[in-house]
Amino acid sequence: MELIFSLLQQLSVYLVIAYLLSKTPLFMPLTTVSGHLSQRIACYVVFSLFCILGTYFGLSIENAIANTRAIGAVMGGLLGGPLVGFAVGLTGGLHRYSMGGFTDTACAISTTAEGLLGGLIHSYYVRRGLVDRIFQPSVAFVILLLAEMMQMSIILIVAKPFDLALHLVQAIALPMIVANAFGAALFMSIIQDRKAIYEKYSAAFSSKALKIAERSVGILSQGFNQQSTKEIAQIIYEETGVGAVSITDREKILAFIGIGADHHLPGTTISSDFTKQAIENCELIYADGYEIPYQCSLHNKCKLGSALIIPLLGGEDKVLGTIKLYEPKQKLFSTINLTLGEGLAKLLSNQILTGRYIEQQRLLMQSELRLLQAQVNPHFLFNALNTISAVIRRDPNKARDLIQQLSLFFRCNLKNNIESVTIKEELAHIRAYLEVELARFSDRLQVEFLVDPNLLNLLVPTFTLQPLVENAIKHGTATLLENGKIEIKGELITRKEQKFVLLQVIDNAGTYQLKENDSGLGLQIVDKRLKNRFGELYGLQMLCEPGISTTAKLLFPLVENRVI
Amino acid sequence: MLKAIVIDDELYAREELIALLKETQQIEIVASCHNAIEGLQKVNCLKPDVIFLDIQMPQISGLEMLSMLDPDTMPKVVFVTAYDEYALKAFEDNAFDYILKPVEPSRLAITLTRLKSIVGPTDFTPLLQKQLELIPCAGYNRILLLKPEEIELAYSDQSGVHVICSADLKNVNSTTCSLSLKVLEEKTCLIRCHRQYLVNPTAIREIKLLDNSLAEIITCNGAIAPVSRRYLKALKDRFSLS
Repeated sequence: MELIFSLLQQLSVYLVIAYLLSKTPLFMPLTTVSGHLSQRIACYVVFSLFCILGTYFGLSIENAIANTRAIGAVMGGLLGGPLVGFAVGLTGGLHRYSMGGFTDTACAISTTAEGLLGGLIHSYYVRRGLVDRIFQPSVAFVILLLAEMMQMSIILIVAKPFDLALHLVQAIALPMIVANAFGAALFMSIIQDRKAIYEKYSAAFSSKALKIAERSVGILSQGFNQQSTKEIAQIIYEETGVGAVSITDREKILAFIGIGADHHLPGTTISSDFTKQAIENCELIYADGYEIPYQCSLHNKCKLGSALIIPLLGGEDKVLGTIKLYEPKQKLFSTINLTLGEGLAKLLSNQILTGRYIEQQRLLMQSELRLLQAQVNPHFLFNALNTISAVIRRDPNKARDLIQQLSLFFRCNLKNNIESVTIKEELAHIRAYLEVELARFSDRLQVEFLVDPNLLNLLVPTFTLQPLVENAIKHGTATLLENGKIEIKGELITRKEQKFVLLQVIDNAGTYQLKENDSGLGLQIVDKRLKNRFGELYGLQMLCEPGISTTAKLLFPLVENRVI
Repeated sequence: MLKAIVIDDELYAREELIALLKETQQIEIVASCHNAIEGLQKVNCLKPDVIFLDIQMPQISGLEMLSMLDPDTMPKVVFVTAYDEYALKAFEDNAFDYILKPVEPSRLAITLTRLKSIVGPTDFTPLLQKQLELIPCAGYNRILLLKPEEIELAYSDQSGVHVICSADLKNVNSTTCSLSLKVLEEKTCLIRCHRQYLVNPTAIREIKLLDNSLAEIITCNGAIAPVSRRYLKALKDRFSLS
């Protein structure tokens, strides 16, 4: 009984050392089971140390040592795997062997076996996907119980003479089993605490970062201006809980929220030297108000006492502005916010860049749209005018009608800033165009419309059908010596219980392949705009039976109308 | 009065131009054609002084048609177009006359004055194609566009130029061609073997040598073409025969 207490007393010192060590970075790798070489080496070093420590803290008894060496060996195996367990056990075992006594060989063997046991349990749990169990103190307790019983058996088998060994085991078995099992459980509990604190910290950090990222998504894509930065600053202010948040561009304050908002006014020019320096040198500046004194450059009674200034980077290391976090004089910057600041700057920089990219895409789209219109113009226009001037001679009323149609066509064409039109409007555009073309090719062109009336109010991107019809005439029927025929079809189809809209423009020329390069661009834009709106699965498909027909097929899913 | 043919695929465009030309009272319209193929036939048989030629027409454009006209009987040409960047640039570069649609009467008057002042044929070389891709032919009640390699033999007689096609071409055996032998010789792969015969060298199956330095060519399709003394040597050289 006395031995139990003495051993537990020794164990306390041992655990205090473990606790103190847990405060050091050396312990960090032990809180995960990553299997990395660095983690294994850390396991080996730390637990070999504890293994040897366990021997020294042992109590000499009957020419043997009652000790807590097994904790190191088993834990090493548990956290580092069989190889590490074996190595730790062997190291501890050899050290014990060097100290002599009649149980030296038995102890060396048993310690190595204990390390290996821990390692095997580790492998077992990893294979089962139960890594969490490894960190449970109860598991450590049970394993140590088993490990110590194994050790006692090994002593009985290996140590000679048997009488002495039996006597020794009778004396030390209970104290050692109890002490080692409790010790291992407590040791594991220290590691578990460490792990929990670390995870809680990273969880708090990630959840903050994720929340800010989630809330701020898309805001800056509207542009890097006072309105958007104000929203962003508000989000960061709420989520980080810092004293104040400011966002600047290269010249002036764009947004300021928090303490000191009365004199840090958006729109004023940057006066802080720190900010200028951050922009100039593209560097992060942390004025903690202690080592690097911080004083607000605008107002000497400003309550802000420290600032973190991070540059926002555009492409090619160009500084777009800064984001600044402040804390008041009596408060310190939390470590989380210091680390978070840098990530935030990266997030915002990316968002600004994305915004610019989207803006450029939009401009490109618009210029492509203009191109579509420009493609229509000269040839069609002059031929139309020529037709009209001939018709005036014959039938002034018809000529007047054609001029109306031509005006309607150009009016539709001028809708270059409108993203979407209804199919009805698109058909009106086509009809106006066709009226003029029908007059022009009077004797050689026939047109048929077969459009489901239910489709008329659906929205499609502007200039979806017109380029197809124009293409069918320009590169199709206009090249025929015989009569040209164009069909414009619109129908609802159901595939796998989903409804789709199928629009087709069919001509009887079948010349698409021949003229592909010519007509490519206009059709490509139509296809791109549909894919942009409805997804990669949809768009324009050209089918051509040479000499017989060309079919331009537009397919997209039926979606509820919404004003875009 | 100048005899003129108007060639344009659009009905109203033809009507308008004809009306304007009639108003000038300087031009006699002898025909109006709605495509280049019809145009070629009419030019060949009516021999106009001038043609008003639209550029954008189905199958054979105005410029392609120009390459198909026999340089010996080439009429004066006035190009008419609504808009064609490339053609207009070519006309500008070579000072060829063209008018834009809708046609302005005062501009047309200038063109007519210029037409009368021109003596001798115009050299259209910069606009001409070196090789023709399609050979317009008129069959019975139909128009054919043959590729040069589909023709085995071409010959002329009093009724015009005829072509005999290769056996690959079903439904077509022989047909009347709108082009002269000279144009075919210059702008296709066909070679001359007789004053009135052209043959496609890839279609020759047999050259039968006869007395008096004459010969006969038998084509893959079984057609026979005479070889005159004048062309026999060139033919032999071509196939490295002595």
